[in-house]
Amino acid sequence: MTTRRIAPWILLPAVALAAVVAGCGGGGGAGKGATAKAQNVSGSVSVMGIWVGEEQKSFQAVIDDFRSRFPGVKVTYTPAGNNLPTVLTTAVQGGSPPDVAVPAQPGLVNSFVRQHKLKPLDFARRTTLANFGRAIVDLGTVDGSFYSLVYKADNKSTVFYNVQAYQDAGVTPASDWDAFLADAQTIKASGLPAYSIPGGEGWPLTDLFENIYLRTAGPAKYDALSRHGIAWTDPSVKRALGEMAKVLDDPRNIAGGTSGALQTDFPTAVGNVLATNPKAAQIIEGDFVPGVVTSPIKPVTGYGEFTFPSIDRSPPVVVGAGNLVIAFRDTPAIRAFVNYLTTPRAAEVWIKRGGFVSANKKVPSSSYLDSILRKAAQDVTEAQTFRFDMSDEQPVGFGGTPGQGEWKIFQDFLRNPKNINGTTRALESAAVKAYKGS
Amino acid sequence: MSGKSVALKSSACRALAAAEPGLWRRYALAFGFLLPALFLLGIWIVYPTVRTIVRSFFSDSGGRFVWFDNYKQLFTSDILRTAIKNNAIWVAVVPALVTAIGLIFAVLTERVSWSLAFKTAVFMPLAVSAFAAGITWRLVYLKDPDQGALNAGIRVAKDAVSVPGVLSEASPSTPALSRNGGGLVLRPSSRPGQVVRLGLTGIPPEGVPRGAVQAVTPVPKPGAIDGVVWRDFKPGGGQPGQVEQGELGLPGVTVQLEQNGKRVASSTTESDGRFAFADLKPGSYRVGIGAKTFAQPFAGISWLGASLITPAVIIAYIWIWAGFAMVVIAAGLSAIPRDVLEAARTDGGTEWQVFRRVTVPLLAPVLSVVFITMVINVLKVFDIVIAVAPESVQSNSNVLALALWRTAFSGSAQFGVGSAIAVFIFVLVIPILLLNIRRFKRDA
Amino acid sequence: MMATAAEVLTHKPALAEPRSRKIVRVLAKSPVQFALLVLGLLWLLPTFGLLITSLLSPVDFQVKGWWQVFSAPHKLTWSNYDAIFHNSTILHSLLTTGEIAIGATLLPIFVAALAAYAFAWLEFPGRDWLFILVIALLVVPLQMALIPIFSLYNTIGIYDTVIGLILFHTAFGLPFAVFFLRNFFIGIPRDLIEAARIDGASEIYIFVRVILPLGLPAIASLGIFQFLWTWNDLLVALTLARSTQPITVAIFSQLRTFGSNIEIIAPATFVSLIIPLAVFFAFQRYFVQGLLAGSIK
Repeated sequence: MTTRRIAPWILLPAVALAAVVAGCGGGGGAGKGATAKAQNVSGSVSVMGIWVGEEQKSFQAVIDDFRSRFPGVKVTYTPAGNNLPTVLTTAVQGGSPPDVAVPAQPGLVNSFVRQHKLKPLDFARRTTLANFGRAIVDLGTVDGSFYSLVYKADNKSTVFYNVQAYQDAGVTPASDWDAFLADAQTIKASGLPAYSIPGGEGWPLTDLFENIYLRTAGPAKYDALSRHGIAWTDPSVKRALGEMAKVLDDPRNIAGGTSGALQTDFPTAVGNVLATNPKAAQIIEGDFVPGVVTSPIKPVTGYGEFTFPSIDRSPPVVVGAGNLVIAFRDTPAIRAFVNYLTTPRAAEVWIKRGGFVSANKKVPSSSYLDSILRKAAQDVTEAQTFRFDMSDEQPVGFGGTPGQGEWKIFQDFLRNPKNINGTTRALESAAVKAYKGS
Repeated sequence: MSGKSVALKSSACRALAAAEPGLWRRYALAFGFLLPALFLLGIWIVYPTVRTIVRSFFSDSGGRFVWFDNYKQLFTSDILRTAIKNNAIWVAVVPALVTAIGLIFAVLTERVSWSLAFKTAVFMPLAVSAFAAGITWRLVYLKDPDQGALNAGIRVAKDAVSVPGVLSEASPSTPALSRNGGGLVLRPSSRPGQVVRLGLTGIPPEGVPRGAVQAVTPVPKPGAIDGVVWRDFKPGGGQPGQVEQGELGLPGVTVQLEQNGKRVASSTTESDGRFAFADLKPGSYRVGIGAKTFAQPFAGISWLGASLITPAVIIAYIWIWAGFAMVVIAAGLSAIPRDVLEAARTDGGTEWQVFRRVTVPLLAPVLSVVFITMVINVLKVFDIVIAVAPESVQSNSNVLALALWRTAFSGSAQFGVGSAIAVFIFVLVIPILLLNIRRFKRDA
Repeated sequence: MMATAAEVLTHKPALAEPRSRKIVRVLAKSPVQFALLVLGLLWLLPTFGLLITSLLSPVDFQVKGWWQVFSAPHKLTWSNYDAIFHNSTILHSLLTTGEIAIGATLLPIFVAALAAYAFAWLEFPGRDWLFILVIALLVVPLQMALIPIFSLYNTIGIYDTVIGLILFHTAFGLPFAVFFLRNFFIGIPRDLIEAARIDGASEIYIFVRVILPLGLPAIASLGIFQFLWTWNDLLVALTLARSTQPITVAIFSQLRTFGSNIEIIAPATFVSLIIPLAVFFAFQRYFVQGLLAGSIK
């Protein structure tokens, strides 16, 4: 009798307690999937990237925007400049990598995947597919799992020119390779070297090669060469080098001549073109060109940009580069941050500050500050064929190290553009060594 | 106490122990003095070194034991062989130069009242980080005389001697006008009554001499060769060889007339580019422009090119380290008792004799310290090479420590090969050290 | 001043010498002074160039070399320095650099002096072989130790700390310091030490009262170099720390993605130059004082 009277009293709080516990358990599982309520996610995310100075401020603005939506997540960003691959490799080796990193080399990402250091980003795959398209997703997929997404994109199939120099020479941006080469002769006759070549650094020369190769050999061979599926002594490579030699072989048409070009670093080469008294008419490099110098001339009126010309009627293609988001750990906070980076908003915050091109198709082109950036972005998002910078996809010792591998061999090619056979042989033996080691 | 008596002592140790409790005290004392140093050195240097030596026998990723494969790569790879050769040059040249310069400076500044100012000037590069010093010298060595201080200085001297021509950038616009020596000559010979056209391209708008006006093709006159020298370019290119609207004549150019290889006349062009050779006897002549007009201005020596880069980096390095040698040797000089030098002087020696016979021998230990330190530093030289040498010549200027960093830390993580390089550097220095240690012991 | 015979005869006072001839005469008398002057100026030239560069705006600098200011002095500007000083990262890093450099100078000097005395004046078996071993470690490039020490620091928890950096620099500064100091200590007259020992002084007393004062010039020189080396280090701080940043790392991490920013490197170099120079001046005086005080016989 007494028990029966007590039982309901006990049951009530018990049921209430059970309900609360069930509620808590349900809330704790909210981290999984995109249905999480923003307020519930908490934790911290450490991020490492290459951006410093102005670009660091822009990325910080992106972080601040993220935090306004996810106030429970603390994000700390540590810059590493150009040395991110080294710093990251060391950190990974030492066992304490950051939570998230944004390197620029797929080759580096691949080596991390092979060492089983990365956590897959499959939770973001659907959004990435919807916002960026198949090409970007495929780029980040290794062995069926999605590991990296392109947050910031660079269009490397662009040519920047000095408007006054073009006017003096009476030429207009060429859409065809033969016209482009002929224009270079005209510019030379007008009394100004046509090309500013940053031969002091190896990577711009690899970019020129890749732009030519993708157009002369096609995407399939480009992919094969990236994986070392075909040798560097293949005739398609020789053909591309032959076209490249047409740009490099006239020292009088290069600012500073061949020996000067070999000492010219990238910002100086840009400064040669983006100047009131230019030393050369154009520089063949990506959309980040205006960002590396304090230019005394303005976009559109002072300097212009056009798409890398097609060769033998090749279809529009884009050689690009970018910053890839990768994650070394998997927590709700990290997932929230990575998901945020796939949204158009994450790109727009930076775009409004300038110097940013996004591969995200959902970003309205009106966000871009000038027509040059708008066009560069358009080329990237609309590209039917988008290929990542080949040298960034290679093992770093071959495609990404100053003084050796591709970078050095192409500098030797600049020194002697007649030596096509020797160059292909050197490239092949360096590639063999690099791929064997990995 | 030399190592010779070690064996004797250790065997007699136990026997002595009982007789001399002080001996153990001395051991303990020495141990006490040495302990902090040995602790730090053991953990921070010895332990990693051993780990690295072991590591050099494994593959780059650490998995497989590969015996001497990494060392083989060291001696067969082109890049590494250049590094070894360069280090040899550095070792042969730099320590001797630095020590000598430091000695000279230390001795000379002794007699000067403003020695502190001089010492500060020479020492300052050491206070600058190697990275900044490298950038500084890279700026000095830039090829463009408008940017590199060294070439700018040379240009001032050179241009005073050989003045650049009025049209140094120009090229002929048609094949008929071809290069001859340093000048240009119209290949097909000309006869009186003809009009010749000497079109030039490659001249920027601001390179056209002052007072130029629209070029005009002269009318042919009998018994004369008339012609025009003009900037054969208009926006879009225009038609080479034809004087077109918008193309300016080039005034002030000296045109020469030759017959049978001998110069017979010369004329200067007017503001519309026209020139004329009148009253000519019939025959075939050659029209041309002399080499002086096209004399090239100084384009700059390629200090940062493949052939000069190692000397260039060495100079920058000496600039940094001479201060070190100077300060250390000066300290040694100041420690020489004055009376010894005075005695030598009063004994009737000249300054030079005192220097050679007394000062230098007394300074010998200090000089050795400086010399050996420089030899070892030079074997490890790294920052200055990476900062001064542009990437295109990094392989030409490569040195072992740089090669090590590149193989192990610059992204490719070839720790096996990197470790082998490190061990190799280590092995190179030991004989040098041993040689000098032995000399010390003999002196002491 | 030698009057000419003619002047003497005519009782005319010697004319004042034209200034240029006076200078030539002084210089001719002392070719040493002249040579040193030229050398000193030449030595200063590259640094001077960098200084002027730090006072030019990046746009001006891109076009022409620093000597353009001689014809256009209005181009000089403080804007680069302004930017540096409004950068709190750079300012904070100067403090950190001081901590690291001072610690990594005092500690090795102390430790090395103890060891150098033992190697110079204490007798024990195997002393010379041990000495050889210690200075053989001079050749180990610090890149060698970075990875093992990195792992070690992470394990014991002193990664990214000032003390971690100080200990690393101390250890790598020891071989040279021991080598250097031992060579100086050995030059100290034997009788001084023997006399003290006979008088019953303990080794520690001898060390503190006899060796240290006599070895001050050497210790001072050593101090300068060790201070400079650690002040200007980049690689070690980059590898063994992340948020603890000395000035070199702070500047380095300002480098843009491509190439070098002269407009940041040049002024930052000069800002970070002042302290080591001050150290140099301070120690220089110490040398002179030591000499004057007669502590060196």
